[in-house]
Amino acid sequence: MSEITELTHCGPSLCVKFFEHYVFAAYGPLLKIYEYKTGKVVNTCRVLKKNKVHGISIGKSGNILAYGARSVSVFPMSEALKKESVQKYENITTEWITSSEFDYTEKNIYMLTCYNKILVYNLESKSIAIKAVPGERSILYSGSIKVFSDDKAYAVAGTVMNGVIIWDLITEKMFHNLTGHEGAIFNVILSDDGKLIASCSDDRSIKLWDFTTGQELTTGWGHTARIWYLKFFDNDRKLISVSEDCTCRVWSVSRSSTGKIELVQENIIEAHQIKNVWGVDVQESENIAVTSGNDGRIRVIDLAPVSRYGNELQSFSLNELSIKHGIKMEKGEMFKGFQPFKFGLIAATSLGKILMFDQISNSWSLLMTDSRLTSYSIFHGIKEENIAVIANNKSELLVLKLSEDGKTIIKESKLHYDNLSKTINCLVTKFDEKSLFILLESPNPNDQLQGLQLSNNTLEIINEYTFTKPKNFTTSSVAIIENLLIIGSRFSTVGIYSLTKEQKECYLIKGINEGDNITSTTFISKLPNALIFSVTSRDGYYNFIKIHISKTFEIAKHEIIYSNKVARGFLEGSFIDENDDFIIYGFKSSLFYLYNETKCYELASQLCGGAHRQWNFEEFNDYFMLVFIQSSTLHIRRINKLKFPHTLSDGLHGREIRDITIRSSKSYKNGYLFCTGSEDTGIRLSYFDITTNEINTYWFERQHVSGLQTCSFISNNLMISTSAREELFLWKLNTDTEDRPYMNLLQHLPTSMDTPDLRIMDFSVKFIEETVDFVLATIYSDSTIKIWYYNSDENKFKLIIGGRYETCCLTNANFVTLNQKLYCVVTPTDGYIVVYNITEAIQFELSESNTLVNNEKDLTQTALPMYETRIRVHQSGIKSMDTQVLDNTLKVYTTGDDNAIGLTIFKLDTSTKKLEGITNSFIERANASTITSCSLFNNNSKLLTTSVDQIVKIYDISNDQLDLINERYTTIADTGSCDTIDLSDGSSRLLIGGVGFSLWKWTQ
Amino acid sequence: MGKSSKDKRDVYYRKAKELGYRARSAFKLLQLNEQFHFLDDPNLKRVVDLCAAPGSWSQVLSKTMFKGIKESEVTEDDERKIVAVDLQPMSPIDHVTRLQADITHPRTLNKILELFNNSKADFVCSDGAPDVTGLHDLDEYVQQQLIMSALQLTTCILKEGGIFVAKIFRGRDINLLYTQLGYLFEQVICAKPRSSRGTSLEAFIVCIGYIPPKGWQPKLDENISVQEFFQGLKTDSKNQPRVIERYYEEERNIAEFMSCGGLQSFDSDATY
Ligand SMILES: C[S@@+](CC[C@H](N)C(=O)[O-])C[C@H]1O[C@@H](n2cnc3c(N)ncnc32)[C@H](O)[C@@H]1O
Repeated sequence: MSEITELTHCGPSLCVKFFEHYVFAAYGPLLKIYEYKTGKVVNTCRVLKKNKVHGISIGKSGNILAYGARSVSVFPMSEALKKESVQKYENITTEWITSSEFDYTEKNIYMLTCYNKILVYNLESKSIAIKAVPGERSILYSGSIKVFSDDKAYAVAGTVMNGVIIWDLITEKMFHNLTGHEGAIFNVILSDDGKLIASCSDDRSIKLWDFTTGQELTTGWGHTARIWYLKFFDNDRKLISVSEDCTCRVWSVSRSSTGKIELVQENIIEAHQIKNVWGVDVQESENIAVTSGNDGRIRVIDLAPVSRYGNELQSFSLNELSIKHGIKMEKGEMFKGFQPFKFGLIAATSLGKILMFDQISNSWSLLMTDSRLTSYSIFHGIKEENIAVIANNKSELLVLKLSEDGKTIIKESKLHYDNLSKTINCLVTKFDEKSLFILLESPNPNDQLQGLQLSNNTLEIINEYTFTKPKNFTTSSVAIIENLLIIGSRFSTVGIYSLTKEQKECYLIKGINEGDNITSTTFISKLPNALIFSVTSRDGYYNFIKIHISKTFEIAKHEIIYSNKVARGFLEGSFIDENDDFIIYGFKSSLFYLYNETKCYELASQLCGGAHRQWNFEEFNDYFMLVFIQSSTLHIRRINKLKFPHTLSDGLHGREIRDITIRSSKSYKNGYLFCTGSEDTGIRLSYFDITTNEINTYWFERQHVSGLQTCSFISNNLMISTSAREELFLWKLNTDTEDRPYMNLLQHLPTSMDTPDLRIMDFSVKFIEETVDFVLATIYSDSTIKIWYYNSDENKFKLIIGGRYETCCLTNANFVTLNQKLYCVVTPTDGYIVVYNITEAIQFELSESNTLVNNEKDLTQTALPMYETRIRVHQSGIKSMDTQVLDNTLKVYTTGDDNAIGLTIFKLDTSTKKLEGITNSFIERANASTITSCSLFNNNSKLLTTSVDQIVKIYDISNDQLDLINERYTTIADTGSCDTIDLSDGSSRLLIGGVGFSLWKWTQ
Repeated sequence: MGKSSKDKRDVYYRKAKELGYRARSAFKLLQLNEQFHFLDDPNLKRVVDLCAAPGSWSQVLSKTMFKGIKESEVTEDDERKIVAVDLQPMSPIDHVTRLQADITHPRTLNKILELFNNSKADFVCSDGAPDVTGLHDLDEYVQQQLIMSALQLTTCILKEGGIFVAKIFRGRDINLLYTQLGYLFEQVICAKPRSSRGTSLEAFIVCIGYIPPKGWQPKLDENISVQEFFQGLKTDSKNQPRVIERYYEEERNIAEFMSCGGLQSFDSDATY
């Protein structure tokens, strides 16, 4: 006997609820319970057998009511918090349950069905009554029940076409049929005081109605797609909505003096990825909301980011400083630069005044005036050391060291740097624990770059440096990492100098991306003989670069190990946070943003007018400080770090996972790396731990422009992904460090035309012996088959064989070698398995051990030969294939759109010298729907299949037959992909993807 | 599923334009017929096309039933009649009587029966699909409810031995539907025309040989739900589901699968 257990599940979450210090989130049939203050998972409990939990209600008596599809269940909270399953409480009804609530006594349950009936049943599962209003049996998409007392309870129901039906479920009387919306109603609720009805619809609007009169009061517009769920809070003064457009919006229900009610949109939070936020709840005492979405993420949202810690945004004009703080300003005097510190801020004016802002007392004071710093000044500092560096364009510098509270100048140093007559830039960075570094650049391109190392304590010069400046080099950022000076420049170029060497020539990394300014370079990690640092570029690119260095800090070479582009505007900087997440910041249109790039969500944003202004951003222990000038006014925005986790669950993809691939040839940390390619056009590089079963996502690759078709590791460090528009990308994985793996786009396959329209459906790879070169087969949606040679030295693909099967779409391809022949097995949508013998056509030889040998022939393009053999196995399209070569036979496992699965065995016919196939085992009606993927595992003795009917099956194939040994329901809808890996303990891990993702364990 | 407009311009799209069909769906019905020949029956008289707009199925029905006959040439006593029902208005088609109505509404049945002078239909088809929300289980349920509504109507209007064809999506609970249909028809087949994309879950149920169970009188009533309507269908009354009961595994049968349209016909997944 063999056994399957589900270890981890990640998929859409349809509803969330706060209760005390918990958040209850429904994941398919499961209920996951978190402590929202810590993010800790308290328990995961199976509530329903197969149906998904669509809604939950928590009674005062400590019972939980959960419902979804035709299931409903009431179970004690105590069991939900501890037990693995409360499925024994599940009941099933005859109609879809749109909504369910406890009655006033909490001894009975009301269930609103999709045919607008209320079923009443007691906790012993006995039906008590069926309530309905005559004639109203049109199908509902939504509805809710509001219980006010024993004899006062209402049903509000939203129909598929325009209507909102309000009825008394005790007296079975209908009050209103509200018909103001257009299209289906997706949610309708009653306010807590019973005076207002709120509804939302297909038409993207929210409407408020008067419960007594049925009058339409107001319409709220704002969402850019359908709205799924609503909730009143703050004594019905506020409403929160979630939508298909990924946002959660807060509305105030404002009553004007004339009594007119309006919905005013107060806040928009981009809470989830790609599509669909399904659930929302509010914890009023903390002023936070929690949302759940199709991406499986549970997001905690601060509803009062600005007011929570006092006023977070402060604005000061120089005029105000004169009046309120008694610092006399001249006419036309302006802020010229500033640097945030722990105590507040130091700023300089255009007349050389040095001002200090104390953020505790909110007061400004004049520290000193340096008349040299009139008109032009550049302002930087070292926040940890309370050191400010201000320069003018005549190579004159003012360096100040301030006391802890910023009120007194401990040390002051006025420097004039004689080597340069003029400066256009002055950049400052930490040198080491005891000193800082100032880089000065002259406007004359022939002048050298000048560096000063200053003591943190005495501000005295410790060392001076000169660096030869490369051509076309203009400094834009500076960092010192391990005795290396790393300077960012325009045109996406980075220059690196060794500080220990006499000769200060530059190691140049040119044109990393398209060519904008480098905005930051940041140390990431250190390896024996190598360093990794990150580089951000104003145009949105960020890169991780590895440089190989000798003991004498000689740079041997560099390698870009990761490159990606942010989806939003200008990129100004990045850092790794305390959770090892990669955080980026910059500007998009008129906003400054702070974004968690690893987990893909916005941490904060601030309206500031856009990128073209003076600004500064620093991180402190429990807050960030953004300072910017807008309309001559200085604004200080404190962005406090949320005291709760931003997400309780990170989620994975916003849409269906189309393919999964495990890097099975090598483990990573205590588990394996894997990639998921999704309909959302992204590829995620993630990790699963084989002990904790936790899943950790590192990167979201955005290079594909259409939904993914396939992705697959072809070696330890190479992965290939394909999608529509003839996109095939070759990625290189780098796992040198344990903090995170990197994956970089190495090359893409040439397309057949400029605006390609074909899908690359699948591919297969065969390596050439003793090299990292390979032969690649690609198959297309127009029946084309192409064979390429990839030369790793040149990093180039060359087309070597081209041809076409017939006219139908091809779905799978696999190279196999057998009897010193190279075959390409292809499956089309016509149900055949087609075998091409390309031994003659390909210009590589096959060794006796069936490996490809490079015989240095000139590679010319040849035509694809006619297929050697084909055999019809399925009635319609073959969805997936796996192959195995054993004892001079080729075994092909196929699954089809015809709900069937087949095992076809090919053998060499001794007379014709050709392969001939017979279908050895074929199961019709193996599933009720398309069988979408399959994978061999357990030393190729078992076959896993997934189907859209959500039944996963495992067959024993050791006797060349398909013997079903396990089947199990998966909660993952649109089940479409899988991959497997055998572990050393004899068990296997099965990864199943669709709308969500599951990790299963299989044991003999 | 986010198809780009280019994607839609496949072979069938272009072919439909050429042949004057209002939608590429026409080929789905034609290919189903290639396999099952239900439209080739010379005795076919009364047919109902549910969820018919914009009307390409009705065009196919009209062309095959009235081969080359103009509308003016049809005689008074000709019993042949096509009724096309949709929520949306439809522009006229020769030999087709249009009815703008909701197929889930009980009154629609009477209107059709009136048009047929209370005679039974030989063939009912439905190509209906509701809007999708993205909640897979809800979308599948609503689709099945639409099929059940069509089926409800069909049971009241179809002659014994008649044929019912409807669009389905092969999701998680499709076998529950197969089971239900199994009580009413001699043969239930899940058919997939080659003009229907392999990448979509769309397929068609072809239900052949209508046999209402003995003693079961289908009757449409405003106040009973689809579920209640089909109650009593199962022969052993002990297994009648109660309104609510402890979770149990329902009977699920898998229908036979049949691909239609022949291999020489175009593949809708191919792009050129
Ligand atoms: C895919 S189209 C049918 C195409 C049609 N067979 C053809 O070939 O032109 C689906 C149709 O179902 C209709 N429909 C959906 N629900 C309906 C209902 N309850 N009653 C009537 N028609 C409905 C829609 O209005 C839509 O026109």
